[in-house]
Amino acid sequence: MKYLRHFLEFTFYIRKFLLAALIFLATVSSFGTQASAKTRTKIVFWHEMTGPAQVQLNKFVNNYNQSQSNYTVIPQFEGNYNEAVQKILNTHGTSASPALFQSMDISTNQIASSGYTTPVQKFINEDNYDVSKISSIARAFYSQNGKQLSMPFNTSQPVLYYNASLLKKYKITPPPVDPSYSDITRVAKQLYQHSDKKVKGLSIEIYGWFFEQFLANSGTSLANNNDGHSGTPTSVSFDNPAAIAAMKWIQTNIKNGSFMNYGAGTNASTNEMASFLSGKLGMFLQSSASISQLTAGTKDKIGVTYYPHLDNKKANGVSIGGASLWISNDKSLQEQRGAWEFIKYLMSPTNQASWQSATGYLALNKGSQNEPVLQKLYQHYPSSKVPSLQLSKTSPNNTNSGVFMQGLIQERTSVQTAMEQIYNGGNIRQALQEAENSMNSAVKSANKANKVQN
Amino acid sequence: MEEQLNKQFKPLNKIAIPKLQKLKKIGYDVNAKDKIYAFLFLGPSLLILSIFVFYPMLRTLYLSFFLTNTLGKPTVFVGFNNYVNLLTSSTYLNSLKATITYVIAVSMLTLVLGILLAQAASKKIAGINFFRTIFSGTMGVSVSVAAIFWLFIFNPSVGLLDQVTTFLHLPTINWLTQPGWAMLAVIISTVWMNLGFTFLIFFGALQSVPKFLYEAAEIEGASKSYQFFHITFPMISPTIFFISIITLIESFKSFGLIDLMTAGGPDNATNLMVYRIYQDAFLSGNYGSASTQSVILAIIISLFTLMQFKLLEKKVTY
Repeated sequence: MKYLRHFLEFTFYIRKFLLAALIFLATVSSFGTQASAKTRTKIVFWHEMTGPAQVQLNKFVNNYNQSQSNYTVIPQFEGNYNEAVQKILNTHGTSASPALFQSMDISTNQIASSGYTTPVQKFINEDNYDVSKISSIARAFYSQNGKQLSMPFNTSQPVLYYNASLLKKYKITPPPVDPSYSDITRVAKQLYQHSDKKVKGLSIEIYGWFFEQFLANSGTSLANNNDGHSGTPTSVSFDNPAAIAAMKWIQTNIKNGSFMNYGAGTNASTNEMASFLSGKLGMFLQSSASISQLTAGTKDKIGVTYYPHLDNKKANGVSIGGASLWISNDKSLQEQRGAWEFIKYLMSPTNQASWQSATGYLALNKGSQNEPVLQKLYQHYPSSKVPSLQLSKTSPNNTNSGVFMQGLIQERTSVQTAMEQIYNGGNIRQALQEAENSMNSAVKSANKANKVQN
Repeated sequence: MEEQLNKQFKPLNKIAIPKLQKLKKIGYDVNAKDKIYAFLFLGPSLLILSIFVFYPMLRTLYLSFFLTNTLGKPTVFVGFNNYVNLLTSSTYLNSLKATITYVIAVSMLTLVLGILLAQAASKKIAGINFFRTIFSGTMGVSVSVAAIFWLFIFNPSVGLLDQVTTFLHLPTINWLTQPGWAMLAVIISTVWMNLGFTFLIFFGALQSVPKFLYEAAEIEGASKSYQFFHITFPMISPTIFFISIITLIESFKSFGLIDLMTAGGPDNATNLMVYRIYQDAFLSGNYGSASTQSVILAIIISLFTLMQFKLLEKKVTY
């Protein structure tokens, strides 16, 4: 009892002090909000763009803020894609959360099922916005049952790059624009041999995205329920003919010495790029977004082809990668409206064209192709048109519209482990089977935790 | 003495007392007053510790018994299932094995090389100050700089080591993409990073060994190695004990170099426990499993530390 009394005495002073501080703060902050609320609504926009893309994005934001007087978009850089997902989920409902955010391709299902967003379809309907002018394969990735969840933004497709000057030097016929696995093997082997083993022919980064694309391009599902497009997947399949064929193709090239393994992760892509630019590597698979970095980094002529496909089968087309823009539902309707207005601004033909020429991400508005900026780019580097052609020629179906499921980060980790084993000479089917089993048990416990009915 | 102290603190008493005098009227005893002050002074740090240390610890323990949904919220209670799953999963056991290999290699090498460098730098030769600076130099190197430095050395097509091996017509080693070599590469880089600090501490310890011990040994005709093992070693044994515990715990917690150099690959060869926890929690969002791993890691580290206290402390001469 005595302690309590002393304690109360003590807290009395503390409370008095806190109250004074609170009143002070309240007065100060009320002045602040009154001044700005009169004119513009603030739209906090979280993104994960770095380098040239960040510069261009900030330009868009500035132009947009100057072009109208209702909204002020405030861009905030949030680090890498993976960490941003956790930040978005953990800040929802607080004053720190954004009205508009960018989130990566493979987080789509996770963000959608969080229930924290307003599907952009709502605004598309309200405005009768014509979405048909936006690339259908890109839209398909971010939609569920015909409803657009988010707006595709920075979008790339995987392509194959080759050093055309190097091939010419060693008198090798370049690969066709829509190559098969054996077309690529032929070029890789010739380059390795004609250069007296000084130049490696081919490299494919250990990256789950490429694995997914091998399946997509062969028309094979990675997860059941049509890659999740007709229901939550309950199992995945890595050990399938399409995957085995792709991995066999890689092992063939490893065995004949023409293949270079740079490993996984950022270092791998950096090393791979460095080797390609210094003429020590002839061909590699990479995102179409790398094209501006490549053309800026070398005087050699660079060739681009579509993603390689199975020998005896027509390409099904690859899905996209990148990220999309989402509108949070924990903000006022006015803020959500502002976010949507900014999205529309970003998707305009002109802005999409400058986006592609500045970053290498593909222009998604079909009207962009006639914009002078892009015309000039294509004239300068004819090969930079190839990714756009691949994008527009692909018609979406269940196997090339991305995998709509949660835990795709884990899927990539397990696939990459299998690829590492295979690249180091491991048994293909055994490696794939192990990865498949570990992913299946992860899917099972995730579905259990998310209370999905199997 | 006591008077002097009282004099010194009297003014302070006067400032602090008025409230207490008021309290005195309500009736309290001296003991209670002391306890209140104890709590008032400890309060802030207790509060901060409980928010940032105790609560997360308990929460981790709690989460380790659950499956978590997309939002990281615990939904299904699974008891010890997470533990059983982990301890029977071959990838987790491999990660455990890799961690222990890494930890032992790193702490052994750091310790031995640190003592050797310090011993070498204790010699009074011309220009030794230059080497002392160089040896302790890695203390000023941040993890990211070190990673870039070593990545350049290990780069498979334009790296320094690659150019050396090509020049000598030796087969090329893919340092960071072959499992065994990748582990070695990471160990080398970590030891290099650790050496600056270890060197500095050992160097200081060597300076504090009294010179007369060596002089006496010289007169007795003891050899240099005898002097090292029977004078230097026992005299710096507290430092060795300290360094071994520090490097052991630090290497268990290694993250930066792993993340920047190998990201846990190839084939999980360098996927050490802490890195795996990071991947599971912050990339895959499996907070349940990650919490379980954290608990296991905490147990292992405390076991190792306890073992060191039991085994090494006997050998330490204070």
